[in-house]
Amino acid sequence: MKQAQNLARMPAPARYKADNAATFVEAFEGNAALKEGPEWLVSLRQEAADTVAEMGLPTPKLERWKYTNVHPAIKDVSGVAAKPGFVVKPVDKLVTDLSESLQNAPEWLQSILTERPHATFRYADMMMWELANMFTQDGVVIDVPAGQKVSEAITIDFTGHEGQLSAPRAVIRLGEGAELTIIENHKGEGQFWNNALIQIKIADGAKFRHYRMQEYGSKAVYTQNTHVEIGEGAHYEAFTMALGGNITRNQVHAAVIGGGAECDIYGINLLDGSQISDSTFEVEHMAENCNSNQFIRSVMRDQSKGIFQGKVYVHEGADGTDGYQLSNALLLSEGAEMDTKPELEIYADDVKCSHGATTGQLDEEPLFYLRSRGLSENEARALMIEAFVNEVVEKLADETVKDVVLQKVSQWLKL
Amino acid sequence: MIEIKNLHAEIDGKEILKGIDLNLEKGKVHAIMGPNGSGKSTLSYVLAGREDYEVTDGSVQMDGVDLLDLEPEERAAAGVFLAFQYPVEIPGVQMSNFLKTAVNAQRKQRGEDELDALAFLKLVKDKMKALGVKDDMIKRPVNVGASGGEKKRNEVLQMALLEPKFAVLDETDSGLDIDALKIVAEGVNQLRGEDRTFLVITHYQRLLDYIKPDVVHVLANGKIVKTGGPELAQELEARGYAEFLGEEAA
Repeated sequence: MKQAQNLARMPAPARYKADNAATFVEAFEGNAALKEGPEWLVSLRQEAADTVAEMGLPTPKLERWKYTNVHPAIKDVSGVAAKPGFVVKPVDKLVTDLSESLQNAPEWLQSILTERPHATFRYADMMMWELANMFTQDGVVIDVPAGQKVSEAITIDFTGHEGQLSAPRAVIRLGEGAELTIIENHKGEGQFWNNALIQIKIADGAKFRHYRMQEYGSKAVYTQNTHVEIGEGAHYEAFTMALGGNITRNQVHAAVIGGGAECDIYGINLLDGSQISDSTFEVEHMAENCNSNQFIRSVMRDQSKGIFQGKVYVHEGADGTDGYQLSNALLLSEGAEMDTKPELEIYADDVKCSHGATTGQLDEEPLFYLRSRGLSENEARALMIEAFVNEVVEKLADETVKDVVLQKVSQWLKL
Repeated sequence: MIEIKNLHAEIDGKEILKGIDLNLEKGKVHAIMGPNGSGKSTLSYVLAGREDYEVTDGSVQMDGVDLLDLEPEERAAAGVFLAFQYPVEIPGVQMSNFLKTAVNAQRKQRGEDELDALAFLKLVKDKMKALGVKDDMIKRPVNVGASGGEKKRNEVLQMALLEPKFAVLDETDSGLDIDALKIVAEGVNQLRGEDRTFLVITHYQRLLDYIKPDVVHVLANGKIVKTGGPELAQELEARGYAEFLGEEAA
């Protein structure tokens, strides 16, 4: 069976090259602190800066970034934050600040921090990934030993810095049979760009629940890259609720590397104004008898735009794979838009894969049914939209998170 | 007293109701029987206010108000209830949440205090018990995965909770076997009362064996062509609708 590969830096094909990252390359050059530290770290940053200088930042000319153009939204972002804004609670011995661990990083941590995007999309994904690499200074490391079931969820509250790029990193490792729940809260007003890189290793039989509430102000840009490896019989459950921000790119790459593993990636987008929220997922099945499930529901008002690019990639030999992806979108205004691109790429024989996508408006029949029982048109619409997104919320394992999400949904509906 | 006068309605430019005149006496059960395509379902939708039907003429007076001037939800709050021929499935909406929202939406419109969760739960439990509806039903999504009989029983439960003045039952017997039909009819009969007027729309006389009407009307080709007592239903069952269709054809 294949393993996720750790690829060295290679020159990119010409079509990826763009000279649009000068601001950030200059910020790198002018920052002496980034040239200090252990050799592996200095060269990681330098190689990343070289790649970004050469390749630039992704533009809609790249197929994988066709629907999401970050450039107009980041044109006033120039500086780079010395310290990304985040607070971790509770303070626990499982959690360390990356800024502290960097000087004497153990080998396992070094090897994760120096990982590169996986081959399938390496160039299209590389720029944002390398952008996080070149400014690697701070972030969170969470290391749960084998067998430890962490009962209380760890929350990470992220925020941004006005006019600046922040590049927080997170490394999360679960030992065999460990269990952990993380809740990321993203809040803060202002024109900033947070580009996060999150790497997760889930050992055999471990369970990781990963929830994210994105409620940034309407000028913020949030791009995040999650790379997760899921071991034998392990389970990864991810959920993102995108409510805020000007542009959100929620990108998850999951490598299912152990037999019988499960990977669920869920999401809700509730958008209005001119918001853009892009959910780009790829699940790579590399072992036998694994299940994966991508399920996204989006509701768009005004001129907002939702994007779902989902892919299931089944490697040769990954028999017994069950891969499923579904995107349903509701357009509430004439100017709203949804772009969907579900994909399957299968190199194994004994596989059950399906994908589906729907985009539409609320059905008239149930609306009339509800109104005939006394609900006003607005009440009927709200109830139906709530029901529409609840079908995703129902899937979540954490009851507290479910309640919080439902509250936020009903708040959004009252706007 | 509900007075329907010269009611004309069309859908997609095609006239279906061609001048309906009906007086429904308060507290009575009126049955409307008619062949397929006579306009039975159109009449029920027009009374409830469905927007894809256009009313081109006429009026529907209830307690001095013309229902046709009201939105569907305003009609509901005024006391109109339509039991659907095909109750709609609404995935993701829990029955109890739907019922509570409906009850409170109507109370709000009428300027009454809304029921809190506890008071509502007591009310709904009482009604379910009286109608023999199972407890787990209200925890399920509205009508999803329910059998024909369960869906119709849901409609009766909603009627019991919303306590309408004017209940329209659109082909309540369709899709029901005889046992389910008896249960549903039993529920409807419990809700009969001197302040509640029923309009029972059906193709077959069978339903009227269990919900005994006071008055029977025959609807054919968009008009009421005959009115009589309960015996009229039996006559129709024996002779069919041919004579009414024949008149139209002639």
